Amino acid sequence: MSLSRVCWCAASAVLFVTLLKSHAAPPTTIPVEGLRHNTPRVHALTGARIVIAPGRVVEQGTVVIRDGVIEAAGDVKPPADARIWDLNGKTIYAGFIDAYGEASISSDAAKAGTPYWNSLITPQLAIANHYKASSDANKKLRAQGVTARLVAPSSGIIKGTSSLVLTGDDPNREAIIHDRVAQHIRLTVSPGRGRETYPNSPMGAVALARQAMLDADWYGDAWAAYRANSTLPRPERNDALDVLQAYPDSSNLIIADASNELFVLRADEYARQFALNIAVRGSGHEYKRLDAIVATGRAIILPLEFPKPPNVASAETALNVDLEDLMHWDIAPENAARLDQAGVGISFTSHGLKDQDTFLNAIRKAVERGLSSDSALRALTTAPARLFGVEGKLGTIERGKIANLVVTDGDLFAEKTKVIETWVDGTRYEVTAKPEFDIRGEWKVSVEGAKHPIEIELAGESDKLTGSIDLEHEDEETSDKEEESDEDESDEIKLSRVGFRDARLSCTFEAKELCGEGVARLTVVVSFPEKGPATWLGHVTCADGSRLSVTATRMDEDEEETEEASKDKDKKKAKDPVAASFAVNYPLGAFGRAEQPKRSKTVLLKNATVWTCGKAGIVENASVLIVNGRIREVGEDVVVPKGGVVVDATGKHITPGIIDCHSHMATDGGVNESTQAITAEVRIGDFIDADDISIYQQLAGGVTTSNILHGSANPIGGQNQVIKLRWGALPDAMKFAQAPQGIKFALGENVKQSNWGDEYTSRYPQTRMGVEQIMRDAFHAAKVYRAEWEQWRQTRQGLPPRVDLELEAIAEIVEGSRWIHCHSYRQDEILALIRTLDEFGIRIGTFQHILEGYKVADAMAKHGAMGSAFSDWWAYKFEVYDAIPYAGALMHNAGVTVSFNSDDRELARHLNHEAAKAVKYGGVSPEEALKFVTLNPAKQLRIEKYVGALEAGKHADLVVWSGSPLSNFSRCEQTWIDGHKYFDIDEDRKLRDEENRMRNALVQKILASGEKMKEDGETDMEESDLWPRDDLFCHGHDHGSHE
Amino acid sequence: MHRYKKLFIATLLGSLGSLSSALLLASPEIPGESTDRPIAVIGATVHPVSGDAIENATLLVRKGKIVAVGAKVRVPEGAITIDAAGKHLYPGMFDAYTDMGLVEVNAVRASVDERETGSINPNVKSWVSVNPDSEILPVTRSNGVLLTLSAPNGGLISGQSAVLQLDGWTWEDLALRTGVGVHVAWPRMSPSIDWDTDESAKEQIESRDKALDQLRKAFADARAYAKARRADESNHPIDLRWEAMLPVLNGDMPLIVDADDIQQIQAAVAFAEQQRVKLILYGGYDAPHCTELLKKHDVAVIVGGVYRLPQRRSEPYDTPFTIPARLHEAGVRFCISGSGRFGASNVRNLPYHAAMAVAFGLPHDEAIKSITAYPAEILGVAGHVGTLEKGRDATFIITNGDPLETATQVEAAYIQGREVDLNDRHKRLWKKYEEKYRRLGLMNE
Repeated sequence: MSLSRVCWCAASAVLFVTLLKSHAAPPTTIPVEGLRHNTPRVHALTGARIVIAPGRVVEQGTVVIRDGVIEAAGDVKPPADARIWDLNGKTIYAGFIDAYGEASISSDAAKAGTPYWNSLITPQLAIANHYKASSDANKKLRAQGVTARLVAPSSGIIKGTSSLVLTGDDPNREAIIHDRVAQHIRLTVSPGRGRETYPNSPMGAVALARQAMLDADWYGDAWAAYRANSTLPRPERNDALDVLQAYPDSSNLIIADASNELFVLRADEYARQFALNIAVRGSGHEYKRLDAIVATGRAIILPLEFPKPPNVASAETALNVDLEDLMHWDIAPENAARLDQAGVGISFTSHGLKDQDTFLNAIRKAVERGLSSDSALRALTTAPARLFGVEGKLGTIERGKIANLVVTDGDLFAEKTKVIETWVDGTRYEVTAKPEFDIRGEWKVSVEGAKHPIEIELAGESDKLTGSIDLEHEDEETSDKEEESDEDESDEIKLSRVGFRDARLSCTFEAKELCGEGVARLTVVVSFPEKGPATWLGHVTCADGSRLSVTATRMDEDEEETEEASKDKDKKKAKDPVAASFAVNYPLGAFGRAEQPKRSKTVLLKNATVWTCGKAGIVENASVLIVNGRIREVGEDVVVPKGGVVVDATGKHITPGIIDCHSHMATDGGVNESTQAITAEVRIGDFIDADDISIYQQLAGGVTTSNILHGSANPIGGQNQVIKLRWGALPDAMKFAQAPQGIKFALGENVKQSNWGDEYTSRYPQTRMGVEQIMRDAFHAAKVYRAEWEQWRQTRQGLPPRVDLELEAIAEIVEGSRWIHCHSYRQDEILALIRTLDEFGIRIGTFQHILEGYKVADAMAKHGAMGSAFSDWWAYKFEVYDAIPYAGALMHNAGVTVSFNSDDRELARHLNHEAAKAVKYGGVSPEEALKFVTLNPAKQLRIEKYVGALEAGKHADLVVWSGSPLSNFSRCEQTWIDGHKYFDIDEDRKLRDEENRMRNALVQKILASGEKMKEDGETDMEESDLWPRDDLFCHGHDHGSHE
Repeated sequence: MHRYKKLFIATLLGSLGSLSSALLLASPEIPGESTDRPIAVIGATVHPVSGDAIENATLLVRKGKIVAVGAKVRVPEGAITIDAAGKHLYPGMFDAYTDMGLVEVNAVRASVDERETGSINPNVKSWVSVNPDSEILPVTRSNGVLLTLSAPNGGLISGQSAVLQLDGWTWEDLALRTGVGVHVAWPRMSPSIDWDTDESAKEQIESRDKALDQLRKAFADARAYAKARRADESNHPIDLRWEAMLPVLNGDMPLIVDADDIQQIQAAVAFAEQQRVKLILYGGYDAPHCTELLKKHDVAVIVGGVYRLPQRRSEPYDTPFTIPARLHEAGVRFCISGSGRFGASNVRNLPYHAAMAVAFGLPHDEAIKSITAYPAEILGVAGHVGTLEKGRDATFIITNGDPLETATQVEAAYIQGREVDLNDRHKRLWKKYEEKYRRLGLMNE
C-alpha cells in the first residue's frame, strides 16, 4: 500500500514536471484578452556547428529551446514536440552582450523625492524605472548579433544604475533581465558648463564625487545613531545617499567612464579610496599606459570606433598632424588585443560607434590585428555576463540559460560572414532574409499563339529592375544583321514598370506586333523548384483586353564561373593585416620615451662653473658628484669613484634645476573651479596630465620642479600640486613626494569678478572688503569644524559630524599643515590678508604675483611672507598699473625671500632670463638673482631641504648650461632630475630624427592604405584636451594667435 | 659720461616731486629739447650696424642728423661733448609690430584703441590715436627701444600703421612715417579646435571662405572705385575705405599680412601676386617652410616673436627660437618683433627675442640688424633710422654692454639728436619706495 502510494506520487511528480516542460509559458499578471496564444515555443536548431562557449565547439549538434530557455545543446536528439530548424552549414554562438549603452532620464526625475543638493549626484535614478525600448535600435543591434545590452543613465557625475535588457521586441517586463546592474560614475564634467553651476571643472567633479561618497558614509552612521537614540536631532532624509551608502566595501558594481587612459588610473584611485568595486568604460586609448592599467586589475568595457587616418593628403595639412595621432591611427585597432594579452578582462560596447552597423566589422578588425577569436567571443559573451553577474543566465549555450543565440553562415570573425538570424529569449529574429530569388537574367518566353519563343532579359538593381524583349532572338546571324541595321527599335521592346515581389513579376510594354498596337501588361508567377530551372506561368493582357497565356524558363548562364572569378579578385584585393609599425613610447608621440631614463649609480659632472646656490657660492672648475640620485659632493677636487659615469662639462655652467613656483601646465583638470567663492576641496593633484608636451619643452629650459596651481577665480581656490618634470612617467610618479600640501588663494579683480563681464555681479564677494571678510569667515568655520570633531571623538555623543572636504582643507591651513599661495596685486589687499592671517596665527606660504609687494615689503618681511613674482609684467589690467620690474629687488633688499615665476608655459622655458632681470632692475647680484628661480622658490614651497641648491644630500636636480645661466645667449644642454638625465640637447636631435622617420613611415602607410582620411580640421579630440592649461582669469584673457 | 649720469639722477629725483600715478594722465617725462650745437659722443665703441664696430670712436651729430662716425672724427668748436668711454653706441632699437600708444591697460576697455569695429577698415590710421603721454612709452625707451611700428589690428583689413619715434609732445612729433602699410589679418586656412575655439571645424571653414570672399571683393570694389575716380574725379563721391586702398593698389603702400601658418602664407603670397600689390608678412611662424616662395616674390617677414611656444605638439621645442636663423640661412629678408604677450607693455623686451635667436643659431650681428637696420629697411625708413651712418637721424642709445643681454643697462638715448629722458613710471615708483625703506632702515645696500 505504502509502496504503491510512493510510486503514484513519483509518477504524478513526473507527470507534473512533464506538463510544466511542455506547456508552461511563464505565468503572467496580465489578463488575457481574446484567445489564448499557445503556439509551441519549443525549437530544435539542428545540424549546426555550435560554439557552446569560447573554446568549446560541437562540430555538428543541436540546440533545444523550450519556453525561451536552453534545454539542451550538443549531440542531442531533437524532442518530438520541437519545431525543427535545419541549420546545416551554419554556426551558432551564444547571443552577444553589448556591454554599454545610454539612455537619458528626464531632469524632473532627478529633482523628485529628496535628492542630493547637487543635481549631478543622482545615484537613486534607475534606468529600470525609465527604460523605453526602441525597436529600431534593437533591430540594428540584433543584426550585429547583440541579444542583450546594458543601458545606463547618460548624464551626471554619479549617474544612477543601469539595467541589462534583451534586444527582442518583448515589452519591458520581459526585456529587463537585471534591473540594477551597476552604478555609473563619470569623474569629470564636459567643458562649457558656464561659471555658475558647481562643478564646472573636472577636478570639481572628482571633489564632488568624493564628498558624496563621504556623505553617504556619514548618512548611514547618522541614521544608525538616531535609530539608537531617538532624542537626537533627526538627520536629513536623502534618497541619493540612501542608495549610495551600499557601495563602499561591497561587491556592488560601479562602472566608471574613462575618456582616456589617464582616467582609468583616476577611476582606480577613487575606487581604492572608498574600497569600491569598479569596472571601467574605456576609450580605446588604454594601450598608451598598458602596464599601469593592467596593474589596476580593473575590467574594461571597450568601445570600438577606430580612428580614421589623419589628413596627410598634402604636406601642409600633414604638418598640422601630430605624431601622436598618426601612431594612434596605427595602433588603436590593437588596443583590445594588447589588453587581452596582458590579462585585462575586456568586454565590448557598440557605444561610441558612429554607425552601429559596424560593430562586428570593428571586432573583426580587432581580431585581424591580433585579438584571438576566443578572446573576442569572450568579450562579447562570457566576460560581460560575469561582469554583470548574469553568468548563470547569459554568455554560453548551456542548459538553463536564456535562449539568446546568434546564427551565422560561417566563422564569426571572417570578413564575409553574415549574421543569418538572432534568437532573443527563445524568439527567432531573421536578420538576413533567405536570399531572394534573383530574377535577373534571360528568360525564354512562350506566348500563346506565337510561332517562336521570345526572349526577355531582366537587369538593373533587384529593387529597380529594367528589362527588354528581344523579338528575333534566333541565332548569331540575326545578330549580325542587327548590327547592320540602324533601327534597333523594331527588334527590341523596352519593359516599363517592372516590379517583382513575392514571386510575382509584372511589367508593361509597347505590344507592337506581339499582340497589337498599344500597351500590353504582363503578369507572371515565378516558381522555384528545388531542382531544375525556374519557370513562369502567367499571361499578357493585350491592348484590346485579350489575354494570352505565357510560360517561360530561365536560360542557362555561366554564373558560377563569374562568381569564382570575382572571389579570386577579392582575395587579391584583401591585404595581409599589417601590425603597428612602432612601439608605444611614453607619452605617446613626439619626444616620448621608450623607457624612463636610466640612472647610473654614480655620475660625475666635472670641470664646470658650478652655481651651487648654497653656502659655497659659485665655484669655478668644479665637479658635481651624484650617487644614487643624490648629490654627494660639489667641489674642485672630487674624485671619480670606480665605475662611475663621467660627464665632461668643461666650459659649461651647472646650476640647480629651475623651480617654477607658479604654473598651470600639466593639468587637464580645468585649472579653475570658478563657480563658488570657496573651492578648497578641489585638487590639482587629481588631474596631473603627464602627457602635456609643455613638460618636455620646459625641461629643455632647465625646469625640474613646478608648482601646479589652481587658478585665481575665487578667494579660496583649490589645492596645488608640486611636481617634478619626470617626462614619460605616470601622473602619480611626477608628484614631488616630500612637498607639503598647499592651496591657492586669490585677491583683487579676479575674485571679485571685475573682468568677468557685466552679468557677474552677485557672487559674494564683489569688493576687496568682502574678500577680507569671506576669508575670516572660512577660518572661523574651520575652527568650529575641528572643535566639533574633537568633541565627538572624545564623547561619542550626539550625531556623528560629517567629513567636509572643504573645511578639512581650510582647517589644515589654520593648523599650519597646508600652505597658502595667494595671488595678490595691490598693497591694501596684501596688508589686509597679512593682518587676517596674523589674527588666526597662520603664516602664509607665498604671495604670488605680489605686484605691489614692493610697497609693503616691510610688513611682508615681518610676517615672514615670501613673494613669488613676475619679473616685469605690468599694465595688462588696472590693478597691475603700478607693477614695476624693480619689485623683486626692493622686496629682496627688504629681507623678503623672492622668486620669479612664469605662470605661463612659454615664459617657463627661459626663467633664467627672468632671473637676470633682477640684476638689471635693482642691481641684485648674479648669484642672488639665480636663487630667484632655484633656492628661493624651493624655500617658498618648503622643499629647500631637498632641492634648490647643489649641496651634499640634496636631490640631483641640475642643469648644464652652455654658458652663464644669466646670459641670454646660453642654452640649456642637459637637465637632470634625481640623477636621471631627462633632457639632453644631443639626444633631442636624435628624437627629432626619430620623429621624422616615424612620421614619414606612417604618412606613407596611410597613403598606401587607401583608407578615407579625416577632413581638414576633423578631429577626434578628447574632451580632456579641451580644458585650458592657463589661468583664464589671470592676465587679461589674451588668446591672440601669437600666444 | 659723468655729466650725463648726473643728469640722469637729477631727472629721477626731480620726478619724485611730481609723481602722478593716475591712469591716462600725462607722464611727467619731458620730451627732449633740440639744440643748434653739434653733439659729439666720444670714446665709445660705436656699432653702426651698417659696418663693423669702431672702437674709441666719435659720433658727431648736427641738427638731429649724424654728420660723422669714425675713430678720427674731429670734434668741432662749441660742440656738446659726451664722454662715453667704455660704453657702446647702437642705433635705437626698433620693434616692427606693436600697438604702442593705442593701448594703455589691456583689461580696461576705455584705454584700448587698437581695433575698430567691422572687418574692412583700410582707412583707419593708427597714429591719430596714439597717446604720446602713455606711461608705456617712457618704460619702453628706457630699455633702448626708441622706434616702433604702431599698428591697428582685428577684423580683416585692420587699418594703417605708422613708424613712431618714442618721444615728443604730440603724435605728429612721434610719427616718423605714416601710412607705412595696410594691415590684413589673414583668415586661418585649416580649422583648429582648441579650448578657446567657439566654432566647429565646418563653421571655421565657412568663416574662412566668407572672409576670403570679402577680401577679394574689397580689392575688386577698390579697383572699381579707382577707375570711377579716374574717369570722373570731380563727381564721384569719396569712399574713405577705397580711397585708402589706392596707394596699395598703386604699389606705393604694402599690405602687411598677419600670417603664421604655411597655408596662410602661401595664400597671402598668391593673393598679393594676383592683386599686384606689395606684401610684407607679419608673424611668419611657418615662413621657414616656404623660403623659396618668399624669395621669389621678395616678401620680407616681420617675425612675430621669438619667445613663442611651438605651435604643434610634435615640433621641436626650439622651433620658434630658430625661425630667424632659418630665414637668415635661406636668404629671406626678415626682422624680429617682440610682439609682447600684453602688447605694448612688453615691447621693452625686444632685444631678448633677438638674443634668443642668437642662442639658437642666428649670428649676433644679424640679430642686432634684425632689431635696427632690417625693420627700418622693411618699413621704408632706412633713410632715417636703423644704422649709425652719416646722414641718418641721430637716433641712438648708449649702453654699458651688449643690449641683447638682460643685465646690460641703457644709460642714455637720443632721438633725432634730442636727449631722451630715461626716467619712467617704474623708476619713479622704485625710487619712491626705496625712500620708504631707507627711512625704515631696511635698505640692505
